[in-house]
Amino acid sequence: MLKFTVRRVLWLLLVLFAVAFITFSLMHLVPGGPWDREKELAPQIVENLNRKYGLDKPFFLQFGHYLWSAARGDLGVSYSYQDRGVTQILLEGLPKTATLGLAAFLLAIFIGIPLGMAAALRQNTPVDYVSVFFSMVFASIPGFVLGILLMILLSVVLHLLPTGGWGSIKQVIMPAFALAALPAAYMARITRAGMLDVMRQDYIRTARSKGLAERIVLVRHILRNALIPVMTVAGPQLAYLITGSFIIESIFSIPGIGRLFVQGVFARDYGLIMGTILFYAAAVAVFNLVVDILYAVVDPRIRYD
Amino acid sequence: MTTLLQVHNLSTYFYTQDGVVKAVDGVSYHVAKGETIALVGESGCGKTVSALSIVRLIPDPPGKVVSGTVQFNGTNLLTLSTEEIRRVRGAKISMIFQEPMTSLNPVLTIGRQISEALELHRNMDRREALRETVRLLELVGIPHADRRTRDYPHHFSGGMRQRVMIAMAISCRPQLIIADEPTTAVDVTIQAQLLELIRNITRDLDTSIILITHNLGIVARYANRVYVMYAGMIVEHGPSMDIYHDPRHPYTLGLLASVPRLDEPRKTRLVPIEGQPPDLIYPPKGCPFHPRCSYVTPSCMEGFKAELMEVAPGHYSMCWIAREPKPWKKTSS
Amino acid sequence: MAVAVEVARPHHTLWGDAFIRLRRNRLAVAGTVIILVIALGALLVPFISPYDFAKQNYDAISLGPSWAHPLGTDELGRDVFARLLYGARTSLAVGIFTQAIVLVIGLPIGAFSASVGGRVDNLVMRFVDVMYAFPDILLIILLRAIFGGSIFMIFLAIGLVAWVDVSRLVRGQILSLKQRDFVTAARAMGATGRYVTLRHLLPNSMGPIIVAVTFGVPRAIFAEAALSYIGIGVKPPTPSWGTMISDGYNQIFAAPHLVAFPALAIGILMLAFTFLGDGLRDALDPRLRR
Repeated sequence: MLKFTVRRVLWLLLVLFAVAFITFSLMHLVPGGPWDREKELAPQIVENLNRKYGLDKPFFLQFGHYLWSAARGDLGVSYSYQDRGVTQILLEGLPKTATLGLAAFLLAIFIGIPLGMAAALRQNTPVDYVSVFFSMVFASIPGFVLGILLMILLSVVLHLLPTGGWGSIKQVIMPAFALAALPAAYMARITRAGMLDVMRQDYIRTARSKGLAERIVLVRHILRNALIPVMTVAGPQLAYLITGSFIIESIFSIPGIGRLFVQGVFARDYGLIMGTILFYAAAVAVFNLVVDILYAVVDPRIRYD
Repeated sequence: MTTLLQVHNLSTYFYTQDGVVKAVDGVSYHVAKGETIALVGESGCGKTVSALSIVRLIPDPPGKVVSGTVQFNGTNLLTLSTEEIRRVRGAKISMIFQEPMTSLNPVLTIGRQISEALELHRNMDRREALRETVRLLELVGIPHADRRTRDYPHHFSGGMRQRVMIAMAISCRPQLIIADEPTTAVDVTIQAQLLELIRNITRDLDTSIILITHNLGIVARYANRVYVMYAGMIVEHGPSMDIYHDPRHPYTLGLLASVPRLDEPRKTRLVPIEGQPPDLIYPPKGCPFHPRCSYVTPSCMEGFKAELMEVAPGHYSMCWIAREPKPWKKTSS
Repeated sequence: MAVAVEVARPHHTLWGDAFIRLRRNRLAVAGTVIILVIALGALLVPFISPYDFAKQNYDAISLGPSWAHPLGTDELGRDVFARLLYGARTSLAVGIFTQAIVLVIGLPIGAFSASVGGRVDNLVMRFVDVMYAFPDILLIILLRAIFGGSIFMIFLAIGLVAWVDVSRLVRGQILSLKQRDFVTAARAMGATGRYVTLRHLLPNSMGPIIVAVTFGVPRAIFAEAALSYIGIGVKPPTPSWGTMISDGYNQIFAAPHLVAFPALAIGILMLAFTFLGDGLRDALDPRLRR
């Protein structure tokens, strides 16, 4: 187990190194530098700026310097926010993005799993058909479409909720639902499939033959097994949600990482873009690692060596 | 001897897309206290379904018990409420299943899987149940039982898992154990050990056993009486020694010819039964066995009645040419 | 030794059987019909609608739906219905061309990796793992920012990120097929490695690839809409549903239809492709074959 963890952490670092290298190289291919403005800057100023940010150094030296800083938590400078570093900018956006993501994740779990369970327990009944149809629809409609439709209904027509902003619970509801729809649909599908698979296993018959109440059979015997595959997808989903959706954040004017990223793209702020990509990649990788380790705890059959 | 279980005219059908499968069609049998009976037949003949019907573990849909009564200690199990039948399952009637590999829950420890029944039916608390679990595992011959309660099924071999299943089945001192092909999936060398184990443990408790198997060789040694099933019906039944030495149905004869016997010269060839098991959606007209029977006569199709006739004291057969003793010698040469 | 065999059941090819199963799947048929209707509308829009996608009319700004403008007009007085259909051209083009790029990159890499095997295969797959570690929409945005330029660069940016799925799929298919008997038989008869790959392995892995490509289309459509929404997608005045959403969003209170229709259009088209993909998967899945 320890060996497995160590190896996975090393692999994770290697992947992040590769991600950083690719992103860094791509950014050097970009036509035009960060100083391209409507009003052209004097060559002397550009040179000074380049020197100030170390952009006059050879490529590998720049990359090495970037990595060294990144390892210490400094993701470099943002060219559009002169007063703050990228790390600081991300850390300011993170609480909002993460709160929204966590809310969406909880919604996805508390909607998706019961929906999938209901479908499996009432297989081939209207309950099942409705659940399967809705999970199919929500799994294929992007969250921002849902967000816009929700906004038209709840804000424009019914005046129930504010269209956006950040600070109150009311402002979280719509974006959280919009963000949660897809993972909820996905979890419903997997829960249903897992339940149906487990319910026809021999050991469920064994459990019933012991005279256990249906409730106990369901909770102790069926769910314990059926939720293992749900857990494996929940990890990446959580990563995807915590890191947020930049479109949802833009639509609902939430000052999270996603919206910062969009602003960075507009401003050609490659320092910010690079930092965001690296941060996202690291977050996703770490979540997946944690899930893999948890997986071994839940499913005793899995052994890492 | 008092009758513990009386199954009367039991029919269980499965309603599938292709039609109604008459898996069990009008079956009657009984088990006395402390007695071991065997249900014998090929796979798909309805022996497992008939046993699962007793404790109402037929998956519904698609299965349904459509007729019959199951008297257990004088109460009809088929009319009990779900709550009441639950109190019978595991406590008074327990089961041992065929596949030790898949019949134990992979994510629960062995200890938990045994103790949950103890907590439920014998009102033990966790500690007592755990102590009793260790005792039971020792009883069925699992070494280091106290440590192994914390292990998961995949830590055990097939034979050991089947011992766990046996421990689970006897844990609440049931009056009846239904053992569904308990040794089919394990090595031949372990089969005999397991059967001896079941017999030794249950003899002390005066437990009755329904042994489901396709191996008539096992039956002669462990069962008092035998019911031979074919196409959802009982085609022959009687004391196991009578069936073994004087089978009165061509199907039983075929089953016996297909297993090796120690009491006959070695050069006797093992003969498989020709043909396929019958289609239970559209069963053959007349005697269900006639398409595969080498003694078939025209009257096996027309005017055949699915009735058991007493061919010898306590020995019944559905085949009408079987009424005379040893009817097979003249044609089988 | 020619024996005349009477075949009771009409003979169907593998694909014929799959087609019959697909036709029985009502959702898949509905998806196909929706896609065809949208595609036809996109092709024939000059004959369907009298309006041009770029023609501005300051006498008819942000109107609601009416007989003259079935879906209303936008903030520059352009007909929304016409713009939606022209926008469908963009979406469908993105869906089709990106998947073509995905196939052109993903197929050879996956097939090559699987047939060569060994260290090369290992290296390629490690690279694919790294690609998976990227947040894909962000990488698309970065590539898009680097490439700049025309709509074809959007196809390229999306395709360069999306090919990994197909290459991994092809590799997996070929590796599992390699173990099967008919490949061993072909080998035993002296077929060369490349011949086996082209003649036996690739055709047999077509089913899952078709399914993956079908599911890839809505994802590409989504990616383009996202790019256009944040303003680095298709350049105006070329209509794109993503741009329409972003423009209409500013007037969500005054004229909610401006954002609702393109949003619905994206949802419906993506859903249609998903229905078709699900149907194809069920139709082509060999495990369900009886």
